[in-house]
Amino acid sequence: MTTWDGLVHGLGTALQPSILIYSLFGVFLGTFVGVLPGIGAMAAISLLLPLTYYISAEAALVMLAGVYYGSQYGGSVASILLRLPGTPQSAVTTLDGYPMARQGRAGVALFTAMVSSFSGSILGIGVLVMLAGWLSGLATRFGAAEYTAMMVLGLVAAATVGSERPAKSLAMVVTGLILGTVGTDVTSGAQRFTFGQAELMDGINLVALAMGLFGVAEVIANIRTADTHGRPDRVSLRQMMPRAADLRAMPGPILRGTTLGSFFGALPGTGSTISSFLSYALERRVARRPERFGNGAIQGIAGPESANNAAAITAFVPTLTLGIPGDPIMALMLGALVIHGIQPGPMMLEARPEMFWGLVVSFGIGNLFLLILNLPLIGIWVSMLRIPFRWLYPAIIVFVCLGVYSVRGSSFDLIAVAVIGGLGYLLALAAFSPALLLLGFVLGPLIETNLRRAMLISRGDPMVFLERPIAAGFVLATAALIALSVIGAVRRRAARAGQTPAPPGDGAD
Amino acid sequence: MQRDWHDIAGGGALAALGIGVAAHAGLTHDLGTLRQMGPGFFPVLLGALLAGLGLVIALPAWRRQGTARAFAGREALAVLAAIVVFGVFMTRLGLIPTTALAVLIAATPAPRAGWRWRLVLATAVSLLTWAVFILALKMTIPVWPWSR
Amino acid sequence: MTPMFNRRSLLATAAASVMTLSAGAAAAQEWPTAPVHIVVGFPAGSSPDTIARLVAEPLSQRLGQPVVVENKPGAGGVIGVQQMLAATDGHTFGATINGPLTTSPRLVKDISYDVARDIAPVALVATSPLVLAVSAEAEASDLAGFVEQARANPGDLAYGSVGQGSGAHLTAELFAVAAGVEMLHVPFQSYAEVTTSIMGREIDAGFMAPSAAMPHVQAGKMKMLGITSTAPFAQVPDVPVIAGQAGLPADFRAELWNAFIAPAGTDPAVIARLNTEIGAILQDGAVQEKLLAMGWQAAPGSAEDLAARIAGDTAVWGAVIDRIESRN
Repeated sequence: MTTWDGLVHGLGTALQPSILIYSLFGVFLGTFVGVLPGIGAMAAISLLLPLTYYISAEAALVMLAGVYYGSQYGGSVASILLRLPGTPQSAVTTLDGYPMARQGRAGVALFTAMVSSFSGSILGIGVLVMLAGWLSGLATRFGAAEYTAMMVLGLVAAATVGSERPAKSLAMVVTGLILGTVGTDVTSGAQRFTFGQAELMDGINLVALAMGLFGVAEVIANIRTADTHGRPDRVSLRQMMPRAADLRAMPGPILRGTTLGSFFGALPGTGSTISSFLSYALERRVARRPERFGNGAIQGIAGPESANNAAAITAFVPTLTLGIPGDPIMALMLGALVIHGIQPGPMMLEARPEMFWGLVVSFGIGNLFLLILNLPLIGIWVSMLRIPFRWLYPAIIVFVCLGVYSVRGSSFDLIAVAVIGGLGYLLALAAFSPALLLLGFVLGPLIETNLRRAMLISRGDPMVFLERPIAAGFVLATAALIALSVIGAVRRRAARAGQTPAPPGDGAD
Repeated sequence: MQRDWHDIAGGGALAALGIGVAAHAGLTHDLGTLRQMGPGFFPVLLGALLAGLGLVIALPAWRRQGTARAFAGREALAVLAAIVVFGVFMTRLGLIPTTALAVLIAATPAPRAGWRWRLVLATAVSLLTWAVFILALKMTIPVWPWSR
Repeated sequence: MTPMFNRRSLLATAAASVMTLSAGAAAAQEWPTAPVHIVVGFPAGSSPDTIARLVAEPLSQRLGQPVVVENKPGAGGVIGVQQMLAATDGHTFGATINGPLTTSPRLVKDISYDVARDIAPVALVATSPLVLAVSAEAEASDLAGFVEQARANPGDLAYGSVGQGSGAHLTAELFAVAAGVEMLHVPFQSYAEVTTSIMGREIDAGFMAPSAAMPHVQAGKMKMLGITSTAPFAQVPDVPVIAGQAGLPADFRAELWNAFIAPAGTDPAVIARLNTEIGAILQDGAVQEKLLAMGWQAAPGSAEDLAARIAGDTAVWGAVIDRIESRN
């Protein structure tokens, strides 16, 4: 069966009314839980998992997938309006989305996020249709050495390209890596930095970390000043719609983001996170005015949002053909498949094309639902910002608490939120980037296990990172980035000394 | 001269954290060999790296001018206390009393006097959480102290 | 994972709070008086989780109370057992694989429970052998060829497992000693990672659940050289048993299992009730079929059978661990 036949087949599956209804339901529920701080797709999917026993495998997956990207979009709403990201991907969206909201351009930011997500998904499907075969072979070409080198490149790129002060950025990445080592070491089973606390054996709770670093810290910083600025004016429909210049700024980042996302998505486990950070770093590097990044650059939303949505699409390839889920949510979706007696495997594309392509097509349709459902809501979301902050912030705190509490009903996690929130506020005061800490935290355990595995397989020979061509490529790119950033720093210092002014438009750090 | 105290303190704290992490991991865990790295290898490496980066941040800041940013101590105290209170009392008092209590504590430093609006807010948020988490999401958490 | 989200739990909590007021002397026939919680030490979607949910669904109907599966993953299932023991409400039980009951007390430092003292066996649910799988392009075409290759190049062949001290790791060590070979152990986190690494020719082999290898064997990318049960397994009838081949002893056997457990001190009548219900569920043909599709053989039996299995396996694997530790 050719890809085209599969796609037509899949369209037939995806357009069945019952499938459409489950998709709509999933998207709706996903958006709803995604907007609530701290409550993510995980909670909604656990809520729905028992239901999946009773409906067909296709309907179950379509519904769960709807929850998945619905909550991703809802998460960007919370990130843009209130700086409350639940995942590292939406942490990237806060970088420019939240400043835009504070400048009264929340509507434009939400519009950009939505259109970029939608375009990323649709273009991602296009990439999948053309390259499914190639993508399915990609993961087996990536061994431990390749993963290690790739993730180190991601960390270095995010840290050196995304900031004026590489040392402060790198310090946050390393702090995140250290926080990621807390808990049970997966390779040896040793307990690290748990200090006898059973709650720490699974590591620090990601939701507690994200909520503490972003939401809580932001609330503390804003209580005194927020309402003195006066409330934002009523936003007219025209202000909510992007200007022509905004629209012109979007296609480039979306195309680059989709390319990055489509590639990295096919590599299980890390694709979505790495590609959104890389896309942000790339946009900053190619931008004519990189200093606008972090102060409300539309490209800083468009690129990463399209990247992580394209990655979510191509991530279906390793999930369904190798059985390697990209994240815990994909793992739940795999579980739903197994319950229906379907073992994921390389035959999936050939043996169950209606399933595979039906899923892919329904992703596109679900994203369309998402767009239709949420465009009219932009006005409502934006008007939420007109509520005086002193009314809003106690509610935010309570919702954050309940969100974290709902993950596993643990008082310990809430104490952790308080501690992390306090530290997060201090870090924000000293102008350290919490997004990079989150990136290090998520990738840390993966880098460590892959590094140790790579060294074990090579029998302790570090040359493995240069002998394997793909790994060597990543190592060289990392070295080039570091060199560029050092040269940039030296040149800036020279420029400051007034001897050799840096060429205009040079955005290298 | 007003030094860049934020970077001095931040860099210094990170350097101290790095040294602490490296020391703790080095003393309690096996470093292993390059071929078979132990659980201590990665944390010791990272701790040393962080210590170095902390110094790189802190030392130049000593000779650099910085601008001090205001420290919102009262606000931080109220917000963090509200979260801790929520964590400690959630399982004992149930959703609605805990929510109301946390809202009242968090709202203490708000820049507007008076208790009436705070009580209204506490009631409104309690009702909202009940509607969202119990009514809509069907979470099984106690609502009142006696509903356990 | 969210234990607190459950469709029926709202009513159940309300009902339970009324009942606890009147249940001064709760007798076993009144049990369960509240939703039953099954703690699984593995993430949602994993095979221990799926098996637990497969049993939990009909169990809920038989007990007349919601049966909520809670995932507390970590430390090879040890955290799940510890979380079960931390609950003292008489309605919390555990579903676990063999590891936490047999080998983990030896392998995990500062483990907080003693299997004999703290755990009451309830029922065995299912057993599964492991297959030895290699890449389709591997030199060896059968078990004898593989053993020969491994003997000729001591330490050269690398095999993957799902973690230090996992069933896959210990089975491979048991095999290595029995076959008189030496191989390099590379720990992974899931069978999917192991199979990907084998297909990428990064490592050479791995012992794994038949269902983990099957899709790749059907796609012509992997082959199965042998199985660790003493008789051919229904899911992969063509794979020869390892026992008695290539110089291995005729009683070579290694099986993983899933079981339900309770905290020690649980009312024996409650354990008997659970054992009866689980036994009945496992007699259901549809349940057996679903288990087999996942690579598991339903294995109903008494609580005493489970206790005997725990004791027997603890001895066998203990000896393997002794050998691994003495080598380091």
